[in-house]
Amino acid sequence: MPRQCSETCLELLALELVRAYGRQSRVPPAAAVDAIGFRTGRQLAERYTANRARLGEPLEVIKFVCKEFWMEVFRKQVDNLRTNHRGTFVLKDNTFRWLAKLSVDPAPPAGAAATRAVASVAELARDYLVLPCALVRGALAHLGVNAAVTAEAAVPPACEFTVTIKPR
Amino acid sequence: MIVCAAVIGQANNPLYLETFQQGSSDDALRFHYIVHCSLDAVEEKLALPRKSPGEPSDAYLGLLYPTEDYKVFGYVTNTRVKFILVVDEPVPKDEEMRMIFKRFHAAYVDAVCNPFYSVNTPLTSSSFDASVRTIIMTL
Repeated sequence: MPRQCSETCLELLALELVRAYGRQSRVPPAAAVDAIGFRTGRQLAERYTANRARLGEPLEVIKFVCKEFWMEVFRKQVDNLRTNHRGTFVLKDNTFRWLAKLSVDPAPPAGAAATRAVASVAELARDYLVLPCALVRGALAHLGVNAAVTAEAAVPPACEFTVTIKPR
Repeated sequence: MIVCAAVIGQANNPLYLETFQQGSSDDALRFHYIVHCSLDAVEEKLALPRKSPGEPSDAYLGLLYPTEDYKVFGYVTNTRVKFILVVDEPVPKDEEMRMIFKRFHAAYVDAVCNPFYSVNTPLTSSSFDASVRTIIMTL
């Protein structure tokens, strides 16, 4: 039986991680969080692939990440996977759970507030997407797919991850 | 009986090699050589085409090659880490070997998930060593 932990604890930890690194000034926060995520992604990949058949092609690895890895880490599967068949994959998650509870301080003035609030949640989401991106990148790298991963949440909690496989 | 267990990293770098035989230090060197040679057999097995497209390939590679005194068995993970076991007579059944490798793999996963371990460095953890020894002894 694997050890389990409450989802709330994980959410709070992810929030606090971004906040703690955001407040200190020794290392750039994004780089520090990225390094943590990359390392954790590698370890998770090792664990989650232990009891399954061998993966071969990069496409199989991406599918594994979309289904099993996503299920384990983000508690659901990716909703939509698109590719241009030239090494770029777009993973769309319509309700990305790590962003589900993200919100900005209630905008004080009325009027233009509606549009501004949405824009700033998307902006806020950028900081919180560094960790998931790094997790995915770490898992892919450990399974033999070197890729760059970026994420954008235009309308949180919907979120699009773009995976670009680097040529060898 | 298993006389040597080894873990080989993604870039074919040795991460762990332990011998389970009373003998001189020459022994370790000899097993290093045997394990090193087996890596070619691993590459060969991995390069084999699948029987049918989409058929899952097994992590257990079976017998890699026999030497004069021993038989060498291999197992490869999804993350291209190889486990090599050198076995003395009597040779265990395939199913038994598979189970041993599975447990060996589980011990390895536990060891690399240790936050104080950095990826692709030799496994010096004593608890990993202890669990490998327990697994070896069950055979």
